[in-house]
Amino acid sequence: MSKLEINDLSFTYTGKRMILKNIQLQIQKGEWVAILGHNGSGKSTLAKCIVGLLEPQSGSVVVDDMVLSHKTAYEIRKKIGIVFQNPDNQFVGVTVRDDIAFGMENLGIPKDQMISSIDFYAEKVGVKEMLDKEPSTLSGGQKQRVAIAGILAMHTDVMVFDEATSMLDPYARNELMQYIQELHQEGMTILMITHDIEEALYADRIVVLKGGEVHLDASKEEALRQTERMTEAGLELPVSLRILNGVTNLDPSWKEYLWASTFDK
Amino acid sequence: MKNIVIGQFVPGSGFFYKLDPRTKIMAIIVLMVSLFLLKTMTQLLVALAIAVILLLIGKLSIVRIVKGLKPIFVLLIFTFFFQIFFNKTGALWLDQTMSLNWLSAGAIVLATVLWRVLARWKVGGILPFLIYLGLLYVSLSYLSYGSTWTSFQFQIYEKGVEMSVFVVIRLLIIITLSTVLTLTTKPTDLTMGMEKLLRPLKFIGINSEEFALIISISLRYIPTILDEANKIMLAQASRGADFSQGKLKEKVKQVISLLVPMFIIAFKRSEELADAMESRNFVPGKPRSRIYDLVFGMNDIVAFVISAGLLAAAITIQVI
Repeated sequence: MSKLEINDLSFTYTGKRMILKNIQLQIQKGEWVAILGHNGSGKSTLAKCIVGLLEPQSGSVVVDDMVLSHKTAYEIRKKIGIVFQNPDNQFVGVTVRDDIAFGMENLGIPKDQMISSIDFYAEKVGVKEMLDKEPSTLSGGQKQRVAIAGILAMHTDVMVFDEATSMLDPYARNELMQYIQELHQEGMTILMITHDIEEALYADRIVVLKGGEVHLDASKEEALRQTERMTEAGLELPVSLRILNGVTNLDPSWKEYLWASTFDK
Repeated sequence: MKNIVIGQFVPGSGFFYKLDPRTKIMAIIVLMVSLFLLKTMTQLLVALAIAVILLLIGKLSIVRIVKGLKPIFVLLIFTFFFQIFFNKTGALWLDQTMSLNWLSAGAIVLATVLWRVLARWKVGGILPFLIYLGLLYVSLSYLSYGSTWTSFQFQIYEKGVEMSVFVVIRLLIIITLSTVLTLTTKPTDLTMGMEKLLRPLKFIGINSEEFALIISISLRYIPTILDEANKIMLAQASRGADFSQGKLKEKVKQVISLLVPMFIIAFKRSEELADAMESRNFVPGKPRSRIYDLVFGMNDIVAFVISAGLLAAAITIQVI
């Protein structure tokens, strides 16, 4: 299991406007962290920096005491996988089988091992019957599950979901969220980039980005009580919490009970 | 678009499905070279018969292949008439004076309008086009009224006809052979076969693995891009654009309005795909293991011996 540290990380595309400013984060093994923020807050840029797709101007990403650089990117990507927003744009293979195999082929894993891994992880994410299907015949949710199987087959410890549910219908979204929960229960470290607070309710901890800076970093319960800080970052609390906040003549213990049950995903 | 058979894989279990893709690619190259060695119509008809026998052996539907040839009928017709018009050797078979005058010009305009109206009513295709060409011939040859604006000699020579038929049949056999290859070979196998066959090119700096990956990704994204094009066309149609109507200039404008967003989307896709590949540890040039293995079998030896035999026969015929 891997521990992830982001130390004083800053990034700019143009050299003028800083997209990320001195980001400082420590993510423990097996933790589920939701990174929240509205459009342009730097969430996806941070995700790309974490997996080494973008090189920060300053600061570092450290995974298990290994500092991310050109030399270490290959090793670090064995530990961290990323599922992107658009299910179509990350499907490399001509069939589901090819796509799950792609990452393992890049790692030079022997054929026999690949075949058994494909069967195992396809079964795990529920796409075993679709192994010979082409991507055009799959739904968005199925494609995302194929992407997850491809990353799991590389034996990663940390999974980054970069708005992975935003292009899915509600049913596929719930299905994927439940599946991510299962992964987390098995010990996978989850880093969920999202602008949807409902999704953040699944996490242990919420980090809110605003203008490329860490605006709020707290446990889920603490973060959601800081409604003003959330609103400042352009985020809206779930309807249930807003209603609860508006109710004044309710017994505090009941209010606390209802508040806590909102987090119970 | 969905009716195009060329380039499509259709699952099956005939003889060709059991062959290694390398054997099929090599055999087709050998057969094409043999075809170009043939010089007479008799030899070519024998080759056509062999091609049909191959289809029967492979349990491939001839009807399906003929249907698949539809998109290239225009090319075949163009090739046919090109030879007829420009090959002026051998005996003169037809020497017809053609003239353009009020009556013939009127008939041509009428025939063109009729042809286009039929096309608009979806009565298009090869038969109305051939009838249209026949009407053009009759109008220019036999209709005369008033002063002649211009006239010319339409001549058909023996060799012109022979060569046009010869070239068209040769082209048909070539397309049929390549259709057999794509119909019976999965895209993954095809790219794998090409990758293995092109491997010697690494000595001149060409990486066959990357080349094969490019082909594989292109094949994978064809349906996605077609789907995207349909969505853009629907979006534009909902705002009044009609891709089937209008003058040529308007059609060109409409195609540009389709191509620009498609290119933008394709570039965006390629960037995201590159990120996805890199994040899954794809490093260009770095050796990769493969999930598929290609293995030669007895069928491959048989196929290779047959194709080599046909090449030898073609060479022998030319030498004798």
